[in-house]
Amino acid sequence: MRIENAGQLEQYRRECQARLDKQTRRLLVCCGPGCLANGSQAVSDAFKKVLRNRKIKGFKVEALKETGCHGFCEQGPLVVIEPEGIFYTRVKPAHAEKILEETIAKNKVIDKLLFRDHNNGQPITCYRDIPFYSRQQRIALRNIGQINQCDIDEYIATGGYSGMAKALTQMTPKQVIDEVTASGLRGRGGGGFPAGRKWKTAASAEDTPHYVICNGDEGDPGAFMDRAIMEGDPHSVIEGMIIAAYAVGAHEGYIYVREEYPLAVVNLQKAIEQATEYGLLGENIIGTDFTLELNISRGGGAFVCGESSALMRSVAGEVGEPRAKYVRSVLKGLYDKPTVLNNVESYACVPAIIDKGGKWFASIGTKKSTGTKAFSLVGKVRNTGLIEVPMGTTLREIIYDIGGGIQNDRPFKAVQTGGPSGGCLPEAKLDLPVDFDTLTEAGSMMGSGGMIVLDDQTCVVDLAKYFLAFLVDESCGKCVPCREGLHQLYGMAVAVSEGRATEETLEKMERLSEVVAVGSLCGLGKSGPNPFLSTVKYFRDEYLAHINDKKCPAGVCRELIRFEVIEDKCDGCMACVAACASNAITGQKKEPHVIDQELCNKCGACRTVCRRDAILVL
Amino acid sequence: MKQRLYVKPELCTGCRTCELACSFTNTVDGKPRRSRIYPLPAGYPDMYVPVVCLHCDDPACAKSCLVDAITRNEETGGMELDQDKCVRCMACIAACPFGCALLDTQYDQVVKCDLCGGDPVCARFCPTKALECRPAVLTTRKKLAGSSS
Amino acid sequence: MISMTINGKVVKAEKGEMLLKVTRREGIDIPALCHHDAVEPFGGCRLCMVEITKADWDGWKNYVTACLYPAEDGLIIQTHSAKVNELRKGVLDLLAARCPNSPEIRELAAEYGVPQTTLEEVPDADNCIMCGLCTRVCERLGFKAISTVGRGHSKQVAPPLNEAPPDCVGCISCAQVCPTNVIPYKDINGKRTIWEKQFELIACKECGKHTITTDFADALCERRAIPRDYFDVCDDCRRKELSLKMGSIVAWSREGTS
Repeated sequence: MRIENAGQLEQYRRECQARLDKQTRRLLVCCGPGCLANGSQAVSDAFKKVLRNRKIKGFKVEALKETGCHGFCEQGPLVVIEPEGIFYTRVKPAHAEKILEETIAKNKVIDKLLFRDHNNGQPITCYRDIPFYSRQQRIALRNIGQINQCDIDEYIATGGYSGMAKALTQMTPKQVIDEVTASGLRGRGGGGFPAGRKWKTAASAEDTPHYVICNGDEGDPGAFMDRAIMEGDPHSVIEGMIIAAYAVGAHEGYIYVREEYPLAVVNLQKAIEQATEYGLLGENIIGTDFTLELNISRGGGAFVCGESSALMRSVAGEVGEPRAKYVRSVLKGLYDKPTVLNNVESYACVPAIIDKGGKWFASIGTKKSTGTKAFSLVGKVRNTGLIEVPMGTTLREIIYDIGGGIQNDRPFKAVQTGGPSGGCLPEAKLDLPVDFDTLTEAGSMMGSGGMIVLDDQTCVVDLAKYFLAFLVDESCGKCVPCREGLHQLYGMAVAVSEGRATEETLEKMERLSEVVAVGSLCGLGKSGPNPFLSTVKYFRDEYLAHINDKKCPAGVCRELIRFEVIEDKCDGCMACVAACASNAITGQKKEPHVIDQELCNKCGACRTVCRRDAILVL
Repeated sequence: MKQRLYVKPELCTGCRTCELACSFTNTVDGKPRRSRIYPLPAGYPDMYVPVVCLHCDDPACAKSCLVDAITRNEETGGMELDQDKCVRCMACIAACPFGCALLDTQYDQVVKCDLCGGDPVCARFCPTKALECRPAVLTTRKKLAGSSS
Repeated sequence: MISMTINGKVVKAEKGEMLLKVTRREGIDIPALCHHDAVEPFGGCRLCMVEITKADWDGWKNYVTACLYPAEDGLIIQTHSAKVNELRKGVLDLLAARCPNSPEIRELAAEYGVPQTTLEEVPDADNCIMCGLCTRVCERLGFKAISTVGRGHSKQVAPPLNEAPPDCVGCISCAQVCPTNVIPYKDINGKRTIWEKQFELIACKECGKHTITTDFADALCERRAIPRDYFDVCDDCRRKELSLKMGSIVAWSREGTS
């Protein structure tokens, strides 16, 4: 089927909506990365198996949907029953039959599977009432978790491609750019560069052809926003790219997906095929004379390829190393031609902006950072998962209201934002409104939206060491400050964590950080020292404790700690004896155990398994 | 105006003034061994030929240079070597059929005549005018054919 | 033509010309290890960093590599400000830690106040600073015999599979451009060895002097349509040949006129 004009698209949308409306009950099984890892595919298969064998009244197989990431990964696998919004957590394949028979057929809610409030233990039936969801506002993630992962009909039914149709048939490219400029949309990949301004520069560039590229090389540890969008709602990315391409006069585009996201590639490919078949992509889109060809380009698994100039070289088939760019890529990008490169989330916001207007988008968030931002909330927070909140929401709201506070009610220590290039913010900064500028001012950055929460059992030296090790591993090695500087920084961080450092080491690290930050060629190196700089800024005492007292206050750095059994507390349950991989713990049943310091490799497994908190870290 | 260095061996006395002039102009220490022009015995008593780059119309040196460091200066017509571009692969030295691209062993550099930017000192100092730099007169094959008929 | 101010002096330059070219023309000594005019500017060693600003930048300064920053009208450039020297010193400290035995690096580092690296020396270090000039020149020459492998700190220059590179013709340009002279090659008895590959050197038909490798000559003949016999005789003998030929012509014409 080919849609020949905007009217036909509206007509088809009504058909799709009618079809969806017929499904009075919809059963949504989350097949996002988190839930899949927890076995949601088996859950979905179990539903299908039951439905093959048996008829459930008022329910058709089509109404069983495998959706993208619903967000609340902590509680997965998730199953949602719409329209009521009944929210089942930690569903196992064995529950499938019961859910169909009780909830779908008889409208009976299964108490056992409901989410329970952390504070009072009360079950909450509808996910919309759970603070994790009620405090969110979803624009980029609007469809994810609501519709079948790659069903173009459902995407159209929820208003998909209407923004594109509006742009292509009712607006000039200039009007599109004006609308995006008015929305105040800033690049979601981390840079925060105003998208409207970028598009305007590209559109007015004389050199031809122009290109559009979508940066789906999400490499930050712990970040999966773009993955969720590419897997769960690929059409929104494609639609955003069509609008961008129309605005800047590009007829060829690339979606650069990182190697580690095979499902995103499959779903995007499927979506491109569907859209092309419907005439929403390819030649003469919905009967207009606008043409756009989209290709998927797969990354090779290098973190630095998320850097725009490296990405463009990688797309062009060269080694993915950054180029120094005193000529901006928007003018000289892919194949040295004008190129608009935006991140997945930025593109996903565009259809909504065109559909509802730039003013609407600008009314959300703060003055300088408009709209919403998706974050992957991970670490020692209770409700880990994928969230989207208006810009300007405070860190406290995100961590305590949406995130439900720190696991096991431990004290909050810091939150790490912006991935390896970002930084740590301490408790004093919890009331900071999250937007591009305030985070940068505080010494961290927005980045692509990773948010790692740390409790008092996380050592900041260890954290800096981890991120530096990551960056050393991912540095492309082109320029000296990044290649050699980060390597040296890492070595010194190890020295601190092993108690071999002096205060002079710390000063040396700070001096070297300056050279790396100013001297490096690309963003990876320039922001490389951030994990160290921000931790030493806010947690200097902890560094000094490692250096002067040879102690790790958080009890993490192995060289500086030892584990001991508190005799009074130990009831001799043998759990730690069984857990110890190096056989360092001895003792009889019902008698206090003893740790042999010679054999102990300080892994902390004993502390984890001890139910009586009888293991002490010194 | 394109220049050409005209060599008249019949006037050359082998006094080697050209060699000195060249080395003093083009090198720091003025060692004659590092000159770009060599008056060599021509095989007959008292006859010498100042051998110097001919700035060929189809130069093998430029053809053999894979980094395009040897290019023609359109103003002077001389083939010039860009020292900063040269990677010292020695291809031009091996390729020149007249042996006029040279290796300066002291600085491990490839050197060749560049017409001194249009006013070659060797010609200026030649006491017998065996070397003369004049605007090039193009003698095409057609003209040759016309004159012989 | 545009005009800029370099270290307080007004300098004219072509628009778009790289700053390093301008400063070198002006005789200003800016260290640059990864730069060579035969290849595109790279920006890897970061030593040619200079401080730039403009009158209307409100005092804001940027630090850019001169090798690939294009000249712009009104730029105010400091090539040796305190901050620039500090950055260079930092980079040289890093290089001195990586290549503690390289005389070239030691000399340059000492010049910028780093007689000895303050950082931890890389164990078993060689003198390669990983500027990649060798691989870029090889690519520019069209052979692509060697390349960089790996990334980050363990990045290396190597022939494919660490074996004698099949595409190498033994032109030794890589060794010639290396800023720290770390690529070894040997010319012994008419044989050249580089990258553990052996080549035959052409021996002059007249005097036996060795010139370039046969492989290189073959490649040049094939790619640039140069007759192969051009390479048979060395430059010394060619000059002699030319003088004798011209001599005989002169002698012949004398005979004809007399």
